[in-house]
Formats: sequence, structure tokens, C-alpha cells
Amino acid sequence: MTLNVLVVDDSAVMRAMIRRTLSLSGIALGEVFEAANGVEALQRLGDHWVDLALLDVNMPVMDGEELLSRIRASEEWRALAVIIVSTESSDTRLARLRAHGVEIVHKPFTPEQLRNTILQVTGLTHAAASNDSASSSGDFDF
Amino acid sequence: MQQPATTALLRAATSTFESLVLLFPEPLAIEGAEFLPIAAAVDVAYGGAQTGRVAVAVTAGVLPALAENMLGAAAAPDGQLQRDALGELANVVTGNVLPLVHGAAAVFRLAAPVAAIPGPFHPRAGERQVAMVRLQMDEGEALLALFEQDGGAAPDDSGAGAARVAAAAA
Repeated sequence: MTLNVLVVDDSAVMRAMIRRTLSLSGIALGEVFEAANGVEALQRLGDHWVDLALLDVNMPVMDGEELLSRIRASEEWRALAVIIVSTESSDTRLARLRAHGVEIVHKPFTPEQLRNTILQVTGLTHAAASNDSASSSGDFDF
Repeated sequence: MQQPATTALLRAATSTFESLVLLFPEPLAIEGAEFLPIAAAVDVAYGGAQTGRVAVAVTAGVLPALAENMLGAAAAPDGQLQRDALGELANVVTGNVLPLVHGAAAVFRLAAPVAAIPGPFHPRAGERQVAMVRLQMDEGEALLALFEQDGGAAPDDSGAGAARVAAAAA
């Protein structure tokens, strides 16, 4: 199966880096959509089917925490698999985010950390999530 | 556990350079140093449990390497992408150093990185420099400093010789 992924980060460089890391992760990807803030992310969610969202926390216009609240309050998207990809380290804030049923990948992250967290939140096995071109050993050439 | 500010900044900076941009720096002495010309610098301001900023400056060889490594580009990305990469690196350093200095319970909000021109290593009015580190890697050097507003909780070990560094880095 392939995953459609939404990457939400106000940094174009970080979005590109996450997209690259996803492509190296061995996970079979469908479409990868991007948004620079929460408002854009809600628009993408409204326009496309998304299996997994990777959210930054600190963003202008609408930050990741508010976006996450909107997603969980929505009947349509409340079950969406979400990973927070952020520098956020405050126990207080992380606890609030985890209460929404998300996993957290801390920047800077490795491809292995991102892949393992994706498998965790999607419930996919490595074999089910792997694409044909990826190494089956689980190693990365990064 | 809170760490002295310079140790925390060194740890956050080294980890970020290694993991985010695949550059492997070694710390250099600041006292008596002669610095290479700075190619670009950014500030990341923050507020919350404390107010301040992290400044990051790099020499010419480091700037394109950041973007190349982050994006996996075969050739150096354009100047704007290079500066954006520096900004993202500074953002990650800031997010990692603050809990080391102020504890994991403290909540901060980070602003978007902004270009720091001219040199970012002069404390501004109402600020004090609480940490500075200098890193060397194959591609060149980086300088990082943590400034906080006077009147807040004071991390220790503000760097002696900071004025000399500031003058050299400007």
C-alpha cells in the first residue's frame, strides 16, 4: 500500500528535507503534499485524501498545535495519523500534543527515526509499507 | 537537567550540525581567536519563560554545504535556499538549546529566523550574552551565541572575551 503524506512546515528547506527523507525511508509513498502553515494544511486536507500528516509546531498564521486541535475536532479527519516533527522540547507542550494521540519526532532526526515512527502511527509493518526499490535490510543510504 | 549555557549551546550546535546537515564540527577556542570573514548570519528570537535570541553565523564555505547536505543537491542551491538552510539550522539549534538551559518544563515560542546584518554578535540594548561557541569543520567555521534579556533568570558562564569576539565577528 502507498501512503499519501502531508508535510506542514513553514520552512521550504525543511519541507524539502522531509520529502527527501521520506523518499529515502523505504516507505511506499503515494502523493506528498506540502503546506506552509495550518490554514494551508486544512485546505490540502479538504482537497486531497491524506493518510499521514507530518506537522511542525511553530508556524505563522496557524501553528501546529491549533491545526492538530482542528484535525481532532473534525469528524472527517479525527482519525488521521499525525506525527509532530519539531524542535519543541517543552514537557508541558509535548504532553498537550501527545494528548491528541500523536507521536513526536524531534529535530534533528534521522531517516530511521522518521520511518520507525511512521510505521508506529500508521500501524503498518515494514513489509507492508516498503516500496519495491527500497532495501529490505532496513539500512539507509543517507 | 539544566546545563551551563556554553556547554548547552555547544551540545545543541554540534548535534544539529551532525544530524541535520551532516557536517562534523570541532569546538575552537574563542579567547585570542582570529575569525574568518562571515558570509551570512541569522537570529532566531524567542519568548516565553525567557526572552532572547540565538545568533548563528557561518563562513563562506559552510553556507552552501548546509543547503547541499540538507537538500541532497548535487550542486549548490541558490543563495536564498542557502540562507533558508542556515535559518532552519539556527531554528533547530534554538529549539534544542533552550530546554538544556532553562529546563524541559519551560515553554518557549520561537520566531522565524531573520537575517542578522551587520554582525550578530553584539549584545543589543537590554541584552546580555550568556554563551558563545565557535566551531570548525572541513568547510569553514561557525559562530553561535545565545543572548537573553536582562532581568530574567540568568544562565551562568557568560563568555569572557565576548567583546573581542563581537568585534572580530562584526
